Amino acid sequence: MERIRARDARAFEVLYDQYHRLVYGVAFRVLSDAASAEDVTQSVFLKIWSDPARFRDGNFGAWIARIARNRAYDILRSRALHAQDELPETLPVEDAVEETALANISGERVRLALEQLPPEQREPIELGFFGGITHEQIARNAGLPLGTIKTRIRSGLRRLRAALQETVTV
Amino acid sequence: MTTHDELLDNVAAYALGVLPPAEAATIEAHLQTCEQCRAEYAYLRPAVTAVAYSAEACADASSGAVATSPLLKARIMRQVRSEAASVRPARLRLAPAYAIAAACLAIAILAGLAAFTLNLQLHREIAQNALASQTIADLTSPESRRYTFAGGEVVTNADRLYITMRDLAPPPPGRIYQAWTLAKGAKRVAPSVTFAPGQGGVAVVRIPQSAANVAAVAVSVEPAGGSQQPTTKPIALVEI
Repeated sequence: MERIRARDARAFEVLYDQYHRLVYGVAFRVLSDAASAEDVTQSVFLKIWSDPARFRDGNFGAWIARIARNRAYDILRSRALHAQDELPETLPVEDAVEETALANISGERVRLALEQLPPEQREPIELGFFGGITHEQIARNAGLPLGTIKTRIRSGLRRLRAALQETVTV
Repeated sequence: MTTHDELLDNVAAYALGVLPPAEAATIEAHLQTCEQCRAEYAYLRPAVTAVAYSAEACADASSGAVATSPLLKARIMRQVRSEAASVRPARLRLAPAYAIAAACLAIAILAGLAAFTLNLQLHREIAQNALASQTIADLTSPESRRYTFAGGEVVTNADRLYITMRDLAPPPPGRIYQAWTLAKGAKRVAPSVTFAPGQGGVAVVRIPQSAANVAAVAVSVEPAGGSQQPTTKPIALVEI
């Protein structure tokens, strides 16, 4: 990032090559639209180029994934300007700065870990992360009490965390 | 289930980002004072980030996402390289659109000064020239913050907010470009100024809302006279 702050285009290209699949993948899963996902990818990377000081320290992957998701949510919001449904709160990107656990984990490893979760835990997690909807909407869609959905989200995240921790430390 | 068990479930929902704003604010406040919930949040957050990685696009599209287009990288790198090249000789950077806009505004200032006569328009011209000077200073200042998008930039300096666009086609007959601002914490955009590009397709627009209160700026094509809500898909949407 130091080199990018010094306006080194080659360093920026290396960063792009390493993280564009993550940014594009998150945007695509949220928006289900390749053109919009490319718009998000372009917007996120050009923002990093124009203002690299926004990233301070910590897990860059967590940080850029958070920005990509928030940006994709912005587009969902702009699409829903006339809709009445409440959208979930986007999370502060600063929060990802301290998040160094599970850094550099691969997408394939996470996909395998997610597949090991019981469907009743995996589905609300994936729907919540990529769907841009609140826990109440998840519960409504599933026809289940809100408390049940929240408990399943927590159990699923704890199980996912433990599974990934194992694969990282082995 | 105890009340605190419920709170821990809410912390998980907050970590996943599925709480509506009001509930999210409640959990944020609770996290400030509850060590157990803070520890739970710190434990769960990396798992949520890992979910993002599950979407990482693959060449074989096994995540469900297709691979990114090589044209996308070419587009981004073209802009990055042009800016990297232009910044090398000096710290002060003038993008081509700004250079044109700055030159036009400078001419306007000189023209205004030449017409410095005691007439009824004097005060108005002084005010306009002051505004133009401020705009030039803000657009070229290395202290300004820039938020680039395809086709332009949003620039902020202190509480002043601008959007600049280049290669902008004239609006269709009966239509106008309109800026929108999304206030921090708001869910709906608010109408801002309408504008049309000048010669060369360049638009430099001072947005009257305070940059300190704005979370995003958008531009859409609207009926002449402007709209109260966007009626078309935004052609630019920039998060600040």
